[in-house]
Amino acid sequence: MSRLPSDTQFAPAAGIGKIDTPVDVQRMKSSLLKDIRRSAYVYRVDCGGCNGCEIEIFAAITPLFDAERFGIKVVASPRHADILLFTGAVTRSMRMPAFRAYEAAPDPKIVVSYGACGVSGGIFHDLYCVWGGTDQIVPVDVYIPGCPPSPGATIYGFAVALGLLGQKLKEETHVEGDNERVVIAHPTVPYDLRVLIEREARRMAGYRQGGDLAETFLTALETPDGQGLDGRLDRILRSTDDPRAREILEALGGVVRIAAERARP
Amino acid sequence: MFKLLKEIFRTGEATVKYPFAPLPVEKDMRGKPEHEAERCIACAACTIACPANAIGMTTDVQAATRTWSIDYGRCVFCGRCEEVCPTDAIRLSTEFELAVARREDLTRRAVFRLARCEVCDTPFAVAKEVAYVQDLIEATAPGAEDAAQRRRLVATCPSCKRLHDVDQLEKLGVGRRIEETRR
Repeated sequence: MSRLPSDTQFAPAAGIGKIDTPVDVQRMKSSLLKDIRRSAYVYRVDCGGCNGCEIEIFAAITPLFDAERFGIKVVASPRHADILLFTGAVTRSMRMPAFRAYEAAPDPKIVVSYGACGVSGGIFHDLYCVWGGTDQIVPVDVYIPGCPPSPGATIYGFAVALGLLGQKLKEETHVEGDNERVVIAHPTVPYDLRVLIEREARRMAGYRQGGDLAETFLTALETPDGQGLDGRLDRILRSTDDPRAREILEALGGVVRIAAERARP
Repeated sequence: MFKLLKEIFRTGEATVKYPFAPLPVEKDMRGKPEHEAERCIACAACTIACPANAIGMTTDVQAATRTWSIDYGRCVFCGRCEEVCPTDAIRLSTEFELAVARREDLTRRAVFRLARCEVCDTPFAVAKEVAYVQDLIEATAPGAEDAAQRRRLVATCPSCKRLHDVDQLEKLGVGRRIEETRR
């Protein structure tokens, strides 16, 4: 316990702001990962989260996802733990308990930072009482982002922590190429009409499905087929079986008809 | 006993096969936001909409570049960036396997070139954005002469625009007219 700051001391002074992993523990940890022949026990440390992550951890050990079939078991004491799961942004009040849980777990231990708040402070990163992510106080081995991470993401994160699966993400930087240019979408449809169509579709179905429906509608409207406007709108309506989508496409057709009426001299 | 076995057989296996088989997910699931830098005009709408400040932009005037970046570790997967994007460059995919061992691997960056002002030659806005706005103006302008004038206006930096405005007001003699009406 010698590395711990005293309970009354809240400001992170130099040298004790974060606990480091000694070299011998690092060696033990790599051998643990290589020779683990038993269940990995997980202790969950809530550093001040909203409980969303806890609900998803619980969902990951239910029979549907069943993390326990891999031997991942949630235990009630850090003294039994191989994996420490830190959820929530590190708050001022929960910093000392988090330190204590870390110290209580036997070496070698794997530290997993869980959820957007655990990884970086998440949406609470600039609050007055928030220290930041878990990596501000203890050395972290695996980061599982998500708000909250779904049970699938949780199982994947555990698999990465235990070295069963490799990570997919890599740091990337895209540099703008020469002659890179963004063209206007649907240039043959008048701009004002396109805005009207997109607005109506989003009003009726939200930005995601509405945007997709507006996109299919505009693409179909642009495709030349030798028919008049009415024939083309009929063809668009016949292209879907979903009555909800058809209602929206019908409304979009109405928008086009009104605009065509206005444009007529 | 037989009844129990029958019940178990009837129920089948509820547990998903993941991670040995892909997990079936909803088409509109809010997963990792995928940014297509080729379609991005760096208008910064997503950086303003992002409630967690996961998306940000920094400008380097010396190198005449603007860098867009997203931190998946801070993202709360709300979809606001997708909602505000004018060119559909960012879209939430169904990808959820984001766990990493290095914090830096959660970052994506895109570097964009800045356009120089037509008058004073200082970098002021992302070149792709300026070109996109010029295209839009061309498509909506009433006449060819009008379009050319608006294009020039778009390619001018705000401070030069202000100077130009003052110049125009001077030429029109607005100040003199105000003084006359005061008298």
